[in-house]
Amino acid sequence: MSAQARLSLERVSKSYWRGPHETAVLKEISLSVYAGECVAVWGQRGSGKTTLLKVAAGLEAPESGVVSFKGRDLRRMSRAELVRLLRGEIGWARRTGPESDELEMLDYVALPLLKQQTLRRARRRSAAALARVGVTDCSKGRWEDLTDGERTLVSIAHAMVRQPSLLVVDDPTANLDVLQREEVMGLLRSTAEHDWLGVLITVPDMPSMVHAHRIGSLSDGRLLVPSGASPERDNVVEFPGRGRAAPG
Amino acid sequence: MSAKNAVLGLVIERPGYGYDLARRLQDRFGSSGFAPTGVYSALDQLRSEALVRSAGSRAGATNERAAPRTIYEATPKGIDHFEEWMLGCSSLAPVRDELYMKIALSKPHNLSRLIELAQAQEEDCLARLAGLRRPATRSRGGPRAWSEVAVLLVRDAEIKQLQARVEWLQKARAIMDKLNGAHAQGAARGDRVA
Repeated sequence: MSAQARLSLERVSKSYWRGPHETAVLKEISLSVYAGECVAVWGQRGSGKTTLLKVAAGLEAPESGVVSFKGRDLRRMSRAELVRLLRGEIGWARRTGPESDELEMLDYVALPLLKQQTLRRARRRSAAALARVGVTDCSKGRWEDLTDGERTLVSIAHAMVRQPSLLVVDDPTANLDVLQREEVMGLLRSTAEHDWLGVLITVPDMPSMVHAHRIGSLSDGRLLVPSGASPERDNVVEFPGRGRAAPG
Repeated sequence: MSAKNAVLGLVIERPGYGYDLARRLQDRFGSSGFAPTGVYSALDQLRSEALVRSAGSRAGATNERAAPRTIYEATPKGIDHFEEWMLGCSSLAPVRDELYMKIALSKPHNLSRLIELAQAQEEDCLARLAGLRRPATRSRGGPRAWSEVAVLLVRDAEIKQLQARVEWLQKARAIMDKLNGAHAQGAARGDRVA
């Protein structure tokens, strides 16, 4: 029996209107992300990467095609179900930081939990999330004091604290040097493998893709995958008993 | 650029036999375009110039009857040669590419084929990137060894070249697509085109 994709896009198209002109941003994109893998999509500026992520994360509806999460078509979900999905199952790492400059990172990362949990318990999980991404020493720091690399890692902890099934990150290596980039991308790969979640990232820089299990290139609204690979899962092998892992 | 100095550098780091050096060359230089077989011609050249010499042999690992593998080590002359190369100037590689030439010499009726070729090259670039071995993941903190940083820097440069290539291919393809459409319309109207 084949594993079910955490996220699946089937022939998804999306356009924007700029005045009287319609611009097709995504043209019949098909892509799946499974638990245990990191999928990276590269594209030049304006190629539609962020739109792809928004559609994948259920924040924007496509004009045509189907977006499914764990086999469930997002179009068939009620608004309440969609909100639950976005809050609980999909973590989107945003590098915008907290709205308050005074917030310490331990509390910032704990924020998504506060509706369901006590502050004490939320802080405990926040500390674990910060430790998981290797920035425990930022717990007492404020956003403005952090380096770009630390901000990225704290954002990932913020998105991960609810233990989502799918982690979505737009350009996780922006402004990072080669060594910081290696750390962040290595972390995203190991997070997918060890925490058994699907990771979908978009990058404007090809070197960031080396750690991904599968890669694709977005150009003129179409997704191009390496020769011999399908946008689905052809180049990902299944390990008996454990589900899936990628070669290499 | 031949693999000669790269192979010599690897032999100086650690003596090895042909296959071992081909594997290390691939690990170290990734997509630099050194063919694995280039190691053997590089070793022939290095030996004929007395820059490397045999340091004994090792039996084939899988088959006892297989020919023993010659292990190469650098000669003092080889070490001097490598040091000179390291200190010498590094010239910019010439840009010679068949697709560039084809585009420069093409006629409008060639556009459809050129668009296909550009897309095929783009796919090849992605396949090359997908085929690169990823660097070992390490835990956060602590300085990296220079050898590790050097490999990352070289890999970075290679992938950036692939990226630049893909970016150019996409732009060239978009322009050729546009002109090809115009050419097809013109041809349908019977316009005279060069």
